[in-house]
Amino acid sequence: MTTQSTLINRRKALQLAAAAAAAPLMPSASWAGDSLLRAGITGFSVINTLDPAKASLLSEYYVLWAAFNALLKFDANMQIVPDLAESFRVVDTTTLEFKLRPGVKFQDGSELAADDVKFSLERLTDEALASPSRAKVAAIADIRILDPGTLQIMTRAPFAPLLTYLTNTRTGTQIVPYKTVKAMGSEAFGKQPVGTGAYAIKQWKSNESVELAAFPGYFLPGQNRIERVLMPLIPEESSGTTALLGGQIDLTSTAPFADVPSLRQKPALHVYTTSGLNTRYIALNNRKPPFDDVHFRRALSMAVDRNVLIQAVVFGEGVVSPGLLPPALHPRSDLPVPDLMKFNPERARGELAKSRYKAGTEATILIWGSNWWRRIGELFVAQTNQVLGTSLSLQVGDPNAVFARLRAGDFQAAVWGWLGLVDPDEYLGEMLGKGGFRNHQGYENPRFEELLAQGRAELDPERRWQIYRLAEQVMLEDMPLIPCFCSNVHNLATSRLSGFEQLPYSNYGDQFASLHIS
Amino acid sequence: MTLIGYSQRIAAAVLLAVFGAALIFFTMHAAPGDPALAALGEGATPQAIAAFRLRWHLDEPLIIQFIWWLSSALQGQFGTSLTVASGMPVTSLILARLPNTVFIGVYALILAVLISVAAGTIAALKRGRNADVVATSAAIFGISMPDFWLSYVLIYAFALGTGWFPAYGFVQPQSAITGAIWSGTLPALAIAAPMAASFTRILRASLIEELHKDHVRVARSFGYGRLFVFAHFVFRNALIPYITVIGLQIRYLFGGTVIIERIFGIPGVGSLMVDGGFARDFPVVQACALTFLLCVLVVNMSVDAVCTALNPRRRW
Repeated sequence: MTTQSTLINRRKALQLAAAAAAAPLMPSASWAGDSLLRAGITGFSVINTLDPAKASLLSEYYVLWAAFNALLKFDANMQIVPDLAESFRVVDTTTLEFKLRPGVKFQDGSELAADDVKFSLERLTDEALASPSRAKVAAIADIRILDPGTLQIMTRAPFAPLLTYLTNTRTGTQIVPYKTVKAMGSEAFGKQPVGTGAYAIKQWKSNESVELAAFPGYFLPGQNRIERVLMPLIPEESSGTTALLGGQIDLTSTAPFADVPSLRQKPALHVYTTSGLNTRYIALNNRKPPFDDVHFRRALSMAVDRNVLIQAVVFGEGVVSPGLLPPALHPRSDLPVPDLMKFNPERARGELAKSRYKAGTEATILIWGSNWWRRIGELFVAQTNQVLGTSLSLQVGDPNAVFARLRAGDFQAAVWGWLGLVDPDEYLGEMLGKGGFRNHQGYENPRFEELLAQGRAELDPERRWQIYRLAEQVMLEDMPLIPCFCSNVHNLATSRLSGFEQLPYSNYGDQFASLHIS
Repeated sequence: MTLIGYSQRIAAAVLLAVFGAALIFFTMHAAPGDPALAALGEGATPQAIAAFRLRWHLDEPLIIQFIWWLSSALQGQFGTSLTVASGMPVTSLILARLPNTVFIGVYALILAVLISVAAGTIAALKRGRNADVVATSAAIFGISMPDFWLSYVLIYAFALGTGWFPAYGFVQPQSAITGAIWSGTLPALAIAAPMAASFTRILRASLIEELHKDHVRVARSFGYGRLFVFAHFVFRNALIPYITVIGLQIRYLFGGTVIIERIFGIPGVGSLMVDGGFARDFPVVQACALTFLLCVLVVNMSVDAVCTALNPRRRW
């Protein structure tokens, strides 16, 4: 008995010593109750700015979504609902009217007014600021303040994507306090930003972490019960998983695809999964041989078994999209995969026969990034070479180098993809439209452009979707890029965490206000 | 070694550092990619990119950029981070992180020395017996294992398994030294394992060689005790090749921290350099690489000095 009690005492002493040593690491949520959430930003090591107008990386938005609000937001059903706006209405095809929620305060104590909204949107168009979100508000002709709580946004022509671009997503249209930004200057504001969100940014350690503190004046009552949020940047996704398993963090922004099936078996964890708003494709340079031949491009598309890609690359955590648009953007789930995107070796060889380029054609595909990104290229090359007898090869780079080459048009083909885009126009318009800043393929088709213009001008959601569907079919006939699949998005959370509502655009910080830790 | 000898070595080290700095600078700038894209993001307009390049003098001729950078570096100023910590002075970034990297490196070195002295001695004294077989096999295993793989094995065994150590995160030594030791154990062990293995092998070999030398036999015949003979005539002589190998291996230690810091989330110079590399943060990568280079030079000179102190013949 004595021995046992001595042992227990020793063990306790060791535990106390370990706890004392661990105290400064990442404070344990178990003693903190609802006071601390440790939400890892996994897969990222860099945050460049915390000014919504300058933000472009997903890691930046993970934080901004907690600290800022926009006029609108997406609800759990991905429907657009008011956020800082109390209500909004379509006045005519080029005018939207917003009534602001009364009594909303910024984290510096100032009250939200219409001139803050006008300033926030107009500064995005300022050439000197060089905002990456500038194109999102380029259609705005004027913003008229009717009274401090009401404003109208006028566009040059009917512009349907504007509603999505005014949501608290990867849009840059989050509302900033006019006077504070003017007083601080944009550079300083990007380091110590002030928003209306449930959490204020307390400390930002470059390349390390961001710390948030609950904003007591947040406009929704009964929210942000967790007092502090620590968001460490964890570059390796697998390290994020081990940190969660080891109890060093409570939530991750992503999960390694390979680990998801086994993580689902662990009772101490919750794996949130949803079909994501993203697209993974092979970008083809339509200006350069051999990808300047539509039959060669179509042949490649039908020489690839996308289900094999999904199984081997993301371990089944994805779906073949019925085109370029991810399934989460479609109102119906029963859409068939187009024939040109189905694995059909015979038809693929038939298309190759019509092409100027034959078996043995050489071309280089750029690959980059972590294993699974590379594997897309490896499997693509293996399958197409086997089916068509081509001599496609791979060249390995890193994301920055490959992206620089894509922008410069200095490539033949490359594995690429985008994540978190919420409007069909961001996929079809920006990735394939004439002058679209993501259109590295150099694709141009007047009929497609015509449909894009119609889609932008159509305010009825159902009719708009039909137009984009048609545009997508026109594009697929040309196959300017080869859509591969759309992957699921994942968040890992300790089972003590509740209240997380996962949305397909990889939302994160916007959920902190409604979380609880038991 | 004479004063002139030391001065020559220091002058050679300075020349090597300048040559290394030039090599780092031009290699980094020759790599494809653009820091402007990393900083400004996917939607960066050509005007914004041009403004970025102008602001950070990236459009100046490379040789001019190098002269500016080198002259500032000689004054201890490594410029401003372009992307990883936009706008922060690189010198303060490195100074904040260097203690963490040095701590992990020294911790790993201490572990490697402790393990190898114990294992190498036992293996030499029990040559051919079970203890020797175990120590030698463990050493081969240690040398063969990649450190990142070992990191995950250690995490699964001692963090997720027994829960003795954290799986991720690091307490900085300035905050709490006990916390730093506790949270630095697994990363230090991962770095130490391959070093301990090669140290063990060299110590075992040189101890065995010394044990069979004539002067040891003579000392034994004079009636000196086993322990006395081992400590004074065997171990001390065996230390010279051992310490030389330690000096040679230390450069791998710096390489090891680059990977290990990322796996364990240690905010050190190694992880900063990797992140800087991916984001094309030229000043950060150049400063980190130069820091590592200087560390290796300093360590090599220190090892030389220690070997000289241990072996009086080298003084002449």
